[in-house]
Formats: sequence, C-alpha cells, structure tokens
Amino acid sequence: MPTPTKGPRLGGGPAHERLMLANLAVALFMHKSIKTTETKAKRLRPVAERLITFAKRGDLHARRRVLAILRNKDATHEVFTEIAPLVAEREGGYTRITKLGFRKGDNASMVQIELVLDPVAKKPSNKSAKAVKQEAPKAAVVEAEIAADTADMIEEGSPVVVSADAVVADAPEAEAEAVVDAPAEAASDAAAEEEAK
Amino acid sequence: MAVPKRKMSRASTRMRRAQWKATPPTLVKAIDSNGKVTYSLPHRAKVVEDSAGTPLFMEYKGRKVADV
Repeated sequence: MPTPTKGPRLGGGPAHERLMLANLAVALFMHKSIKTTETKAKRLRPVAERLITFAKRGDLHARRRVLAILRNKDATHEVFTEIAPLVAEREGGYTRITKLGFRKGDNASMVQIELVLDPVAKKPSNKSAKAVKQEAPKAAVVEAEIAADTADMIEEGSPVVVSADAVVADAPEAEAEAVVDAPAEAASDAAAEEEAK
Repeated sequence: MAVPKRKMSRASTRMRRAQWKATPPTLVKAIDSNGKVTYSLPHRAKVVEDSAGTPLFMEYKGRKVADV
C-alpha cells in the first residue's frame, strides 16, 4: 500500500494530482519507458506498481479497479495482457528510475522511469551465499593442488588419472602427454569456475 | 499590506548578501583507457559518444537508459 503523500499535491489540487498520475501511468504502460521530472516519477512509482499488482491478479474485479484509476481501456488491456505475464515471477519493484540531467527551462531534475520487464535473475539466498563463500576457497585450494600434482606428473612424463569429471588416462604412452594436458586444463577451468562462484 | 518602516542600510544589505555562497558540486573522476580524465555527477546517466564526439545515447551502469 503506498504511503499517503505529505506536503502539497502535484499540480493544482488533489484531483489534478490524481489525473496527472493516471495520465503518467497510462503513458508508462503504453511506452514502457518515459522521461519525466524526478518529483513526478517518485510519485508515479507506487501508483504504477500497485496497478501492476492488480494486473497480476488478473480477474474482472481487479480489471475494473485498474480501469477506474487509469480511465483508459487500451492501457488497462496492455497492462493486463502484455505487462502482467512478463512480471509474473517478479516480487515487486516493477519500475526503475534512472536520473538523467537537468531540464533547461527550470533546472528540474529529469529521470527516465521504465518498466523492468527482463526475466528475474535468481539471487542466491543469504545462507547459500555464505556456504558458497566458505566452500569456495577450500575448493579452489583443492583444485590448485590437483593442478600442481598434474604439473608434477607432466614433468615425470607418466600417464595420470585425475578426478573432477576429467578424462581417465588409460591410453597408451604415445597419447599420454595429450591426455595429461587435458585434465590439467580441466582442473584450471574448474578452479576458475569456483572463483567465479 | 505590511511595508518596511526604514530604508535598509547598504551595510546590512551587503552583510545579508555576503552569506550567499556557491558550493562546489560533488563529482566522480573517471579515467578511460586512453588516459583521458572525465568528471561526472554521481548517480546520473552519462552520455555515450562515438570517437568523433557525436552523442549516441544515455548510459547508466552499463545499461542504455535513454536517447539524447
């Protein structure tokens, strides 16, 4: 639920503000990204996100409530059929405000407010993130040891068997060097992946 | 309508105006690959230019946000 705004309304009065916010929301839903002043964008965000929440509900009652605010059938249809499925996985935060510059006439701070329609990137939860952090250094060390061992073996020139889903070197001695190289690379790749995680 | 009773002295006018001070803007320093130093406002989109200096679009955090 948006917090009631303190201070003066946008425009001339409460009715003017309602109309302005409805028009801004219509423009946002039709164009997906609009340029406006920072003050208007900050007021628009809770309004637009609440309308999208209604659209995600998707029933006739929700549609009538959105239509009562927007007063625009095209925009209401757009938000229910086009936008709502794209943000079905997203738990709030459907809009993004990026500050641009300052308007020439009155030096007002201008922003671009856009709908966030990209697929949701899953973030690891706090527990799993911590676990990964703790495991990662150990795993990296182990991989490094494996790589070091492989390097030693290469110097000795003997065929090697390395774990980590690598190729098992049962090959004759002629292929030994090639097979030895492959696990070494695999190990270093695996180490790099572990660090990336 | 309320009106001033006395002329405001030159000294008091000047003392009031002496408090009008400009503040330096907070800027972020960035050095690109050519060693060229640019200053920009923090948390604001930047204009991306091609090599000829023609503005292309506004960019923020590696994302194209708006046309110029």
